[in-house]
Amino acid sequence: MSGQTDPDDDRVLAGEYALGLLSPEEARAFEARMQTDPGLRAAYAGWAEDMAALTDDIDEVAPPHDMPDRIAEAIDGPTRKPGLLSKLGLSWIVPGAVLASLLAFFVVSNDLLVPDGDVPSLRAEIAAPDDSLRVTAAYDGARGQLRITRAAGQARPGRALELWLIVGEAAPVSLGVLPEGREAALAIPAEMTRKLPGAVLAISDEPPGGSPTGAPTGDVLATGQVVRQGA
Amino acid sequence: MATPEDIEMLLARLAVGDRAALDGLYRLTSAKLFGICLRVLSNRAEAEDALQEVYVKIWRGAGRYRANGLSPMTWLITVARNHCIDRLRARRAASEGLETAAEQPDAAPGPEALAIRSSERARLLDCLEELPEARAAAVRLAYLQGETYADLAARFEVPLNTMRTWLRRSLLTLRECLSR
Repeated sequence: MSGQTDPDDDRVLAGEYALGLLSPEEARAFEARMQTDPGLRAAYAGWAEDMAALTDDIDEVAPPHDMPDRIAEAIDGPTRKPGLLSKLGLSWIVPGAVLASLLAFFVVSNDLLVPDGDVPSLRAEIAAPDDSLRVTAAYDGARGQLRITRAAGQARPGRALELWLIVGEAAPVSLGVLPEGREAALAIPAEMTRKLPGAVLAISDEPPGGSPTGAPTGDVLATGQVVRQGA
Repeated sequence: MATPEDIEMLLARLAVGDRAALDGLYRLTSAKLFGICLRVLSNRAEAEDALQEVYVKIWRGAGRYRANGLSPMTWLITVARNHCIDRLRARRAASEGLETAAEQPDAAPGPEALAIRSSERARLLDCLEELPEARAAAVRLAYLQGETYADLAARFEVPLNTMRTWLRRSLLTLRECLSR
């Protein structure tokens, strides 16, 4: 295309890509090739490193003081809606549940140690206040899955258990309906993964197949906080 | 002074959703990235908006930063530079109907071409000096002002294909100089 005949084409092409000189179509084609061509990737990385030197003589300027707040707001969303737990009048439950889950966590953590010590692992003990339902969730970063083990309790007859992720005051996000079996693996989208630490997992009582509305409709049966198990 | 390892560690923590790491990264890098946004956009309010968006991109993209093999600081600089260039080009496209060909920007290379260099400056700047002045300026204008082949051709008053040939040759010369 465009009559390039130079034998060093790819090196030049990588430079044009780094400078943003390619047309959108050419840039997309380059990116697609880069996925499978480590040499091209290295050529681009080389240019990106070298060109970054053009910013060396740019003076540093302190951003305005409110910038961290603006960034936080852009990440979390501007309005803080009342969370599920407070909406359901269950705010009081959380500290106890979290404390209980933390205690449970320390008791059981030795059994749950995962072999890959590289990545801090995330887990939660999701328990009803009276332990009538107890589920452990462990995040498997390699597979992008939340491994669920139901240690006690089950869905009410003709009903289902649905797992929710609650980040801060944001609306709960469904992670799926727990299957009948005691073990399950739920896929966690990558963008949700980084929200896991410190988030609350909750299990609600729902019709078969899960909430028809996208928000919990039945009782919240159990809650637990996702805690990090040190690397 | 933050080391590349410090930045890399912070990015790794960002990738797993550690907000404290974002604060740390912001403290270490925001003045540098804000300087870049100001340079590219030449407008304080727009540079502030851009910086906010850049850190959101960094937060969301930290898990993928290794994909292209960039060093951590280069990745941050590249995210900021590319985002600001996108904004600048959108602004230019929006005002294109208003501007006429009579209003061409100044063709002379900016004073940065003559800036005093410190001893640690990257070899790129030495290699740029080996290029004819206008061709070195074209590389800088593409990187720091997001100028396209069409912009550069108009600025240097040469046909588009000539500009393209010039710049590709410049890149080849630079690459050869950089690998010496």
